Amino acid sequence: MNGLRSLLPNAWYVAIREYRGRASSRSFVIGTIILAAIAFAAAEAPVILDSLVSSSQTKLAIVVEPAAANMPADARALLNAGLNGSDASTSSPSYVITWLGPDGAAAAERELKSGTYSALLTIDRVKGGSSATPDLTFTMRTDMPSDGREVQSLKAALQSVVIEDRLAPKGSSLAQVTAGYEFDVRPVNPGSSGTNSIGQEISSSLLSTGLIVLIFMAIITYGTWVAMSVAEEKGSRVMELMLNAATPLQMLAGKVIGNGAAGLTQYGVILAAGIAGVLSQDRVRSLLGTSSSNAVGFGGLTPGVVAGFVILFVLGFTFYSLLYAALGSLVSRQEDVQSATSPLMMLIMVGYFLSIFGLQAINETWVRIASFIPFFSPYLMLARIAVGEVAPWEVGLAVLVLVVSIGFALVLAARIYSAGVLLYGQRVGLREVLKAARVAR
Amino acid sequence: MSLTIDSVSKRFGEVRALDDVSLEIQPCEVFGFLGANGAGKTTAMRIILDILRPDSGTVVWNGRSNTELPRETWGYLPEERGLYAKMKVLDQLVFFSRLHGVKRKDAEREAREWLDRFRIPEYADRRAEQLSKGNQQKIQFIAAILHDPDVLLMDEPFTGLDPVNVALLKEAFLEMKNRGKTILFSTHQMEQVEELCQSIAILDRGRLIVSGTVRDVRGSTGREVVRLAVEDDSEMPWLAEIPGLRVTRRGQDYSEAQVPAGFDPAIVLQAALSRGCKVRHFEVADPSLEEIFIEKVGRVDDSERTLAPKVVRQ
Repeated sequence: MNGLRSLLPNAWYVAIREYRGRASSRSFVIGTIILAAIAFAAAEAPVILDSLVSSSQTKLAIVVEPAAANMPADARALLNAGLNGSDASTSSPSYVITWLGPDGAAAAERELKSGTYSALLTIDRVKGGSSATPDLTFTMRTDMPSDGREVQSLKAALQSVVIEDRLAPKGSSLAQVTAGYEFDVRPVNPGSSGTNSIGQEISSSLLSTGLIVLIFMAIITYGTWVAMSVAEEKGSRVMELMLNAATPLQMLAGKVIGNGAAGLTQYGVILAAGIAGVLSQDRVRSLLGTSSSNAVGFGGLTPGVVAGFVILFVLGFTFYSLLYAALGSLVSRQEDVQSATSPLMMLIMVGYFLSIFGLQAINETWVRIASFIPFFSPYLMLARIAVGEVAPWEVGLAVLVLVVSIGFALVLAARIYSAGVLLYGQRVGLREVLKAARVAR
Repeated sequence: MSLTIDSVSKRFGEVRALDDVSLEIQPCEVFGFLGANGAGKTTAMRIILDILRPDSGTVVWNGRSNTELPRETWGYLPEERGLYAKMKVLDQLVFFSRLHGVKRKDAEREAREWLDRFRIPEYADRRAEQLSKGNQQKIQFIAAILHDPDVLLMDEPFTGLDPVNVALLKEAFLEMKNRGKTILFSTHQMEQVEELCQSIAILDRGRLIVSGTVRDVRGSTGREVVRLAVEDDSEMPWLAEIPGLRVTRRGQDYSEAQVPAGFDPAIVLQAALSRGCKVRHFEVADPSLEEIFIEKVGRVDDSERTLAPKVVRQ
């Protein structure tokens, strides 16, 4: 281990070489462009979906017969509010209502048959019963399902119109009757901020899943880069020149840093594209002519979560790519990298699935314990941070365990690496390597 | 001031790669490392470089153990030729040189000088994969010496080069020698050893068979070689009748025979003259290194015995 005393500047030179070689490769450039485009498109997806949803508006024609012309003045507003919500200020409401007089009935009939209108509602007042002023009657012709959401909402909205109509002769109104009515929602535990909206709940769960996937992808992709780069040097035999120029530790450190930096560059570009996508949602929305504002923003992405992500990302990547480098040094050809690193791949997959399941059971004991194990902590601790149910000391402990594990992985990887890079054969078993590692420098 | 290898042994599993090898290589000399494939030459070089640790024994240069010496002491041309395929030639030369502590500017200037000298300045901005094997080998040679190391270890530097490039490389060898470098190189080609080396060592299956100056090694057998050429009688059948003499070569230009120590070569000349032959050429010399090599090692080449442990998975 005579490399520790002089890690720099050679590790730095190796890192720069690795970074340049990686970042200037065609696969890197093309991959980054494609992934950035996907990220941008994904950020716009909610807006585009939104515009598709709002274009499926329910168009409604309402014919008011002369007998019903004396219905309360605010009936139209009440109906609109009942269908499109009270703050119906949007320009793309779910229900578009066209009010017509009796003379418009024939035209509306035709347009109903041609499909321009989904429904034709006729409001009338039919004499009968004992009441001095007979009730309003509603007749609707439509092919929409009678127990569907649209018909049900219409029914409910018309109910308030009827109530208003019955109250009007008594000099009262719906607004007067319901004045003072309150509905207060409070969390289970007083003082906690437990009253999330459905949107917040979904965005927090999406966020943790998204961050876990980001780390998972990064470790697998960029870890494989490290293993590939080791196998490539071994395969092209340039390793022999390198061995005299730098110590295994310098090479290892340089490779992990260089490939990690290239990976971070790619991630940075992808994230920038995603953020640019989110920021330009409004512009895209106005291009599409929709303006509803239930956009997906950065809800739940607090500075704490970002810091946790960056720290766990860097440490998790470092830990795993050291192991990748060690395994990569066991094969002589790039084609063998996949099979040599498959045990590591399994381990990473286990961690990934543990954390996806763990998200549903974030307070279970096994999730808490697993979130300190270095192989899993990059995901599981991140999941716990993102869901927001973790004490600061727990994060600190997980990071500490991870850092110590990196130290162990570094020593182990350097030993396997310095022995492995000189072994050429069909496939070198771990036993032979450990034997060789004992006598390696 | 010398490179001393003291009782170095190294085993790879069942294979005894080096068995108690001791050598002393004088500074500023060109030292030839001879041996069949698998004799242990590459292992010996890797141990000198401290890339491999021996099971026992030490390597000392200039009074310091090789485990303490800085990497830039050594310039190494590995037998396995390899460069970064996608990297530009100049970039790699500068990269390797900087790893050895040379400043970027100096490395770049030196690299361009050497490319000029090897008549390939136009390759500076090409990627290594675009070069022919011979040219890649020259680039590797430059990479090995660019940081101005004290000791050069070259594993079969001439293999695979055309005669023009062999001549260029020999020139570079001599120049490095004149600059005061100590050069150790392995080869199969005996003519190069006789031409370039002051001293040699012959390894066989990990054991040191003989070492010393070329002159001492050639004289070490005690035997001499007689070369004789006469007009009109290329076969000289009578030559085999001389007791003690062993004919090793019959040819149009000359015939060659080995004679044991104490044998008076004049007997051969007298025999020729007494038969009325017109002698054109008569020479008494030490046996060539090739003859010694074949005699000591018993064969020129062995079946595939690789130096790295060959691991076969069961």
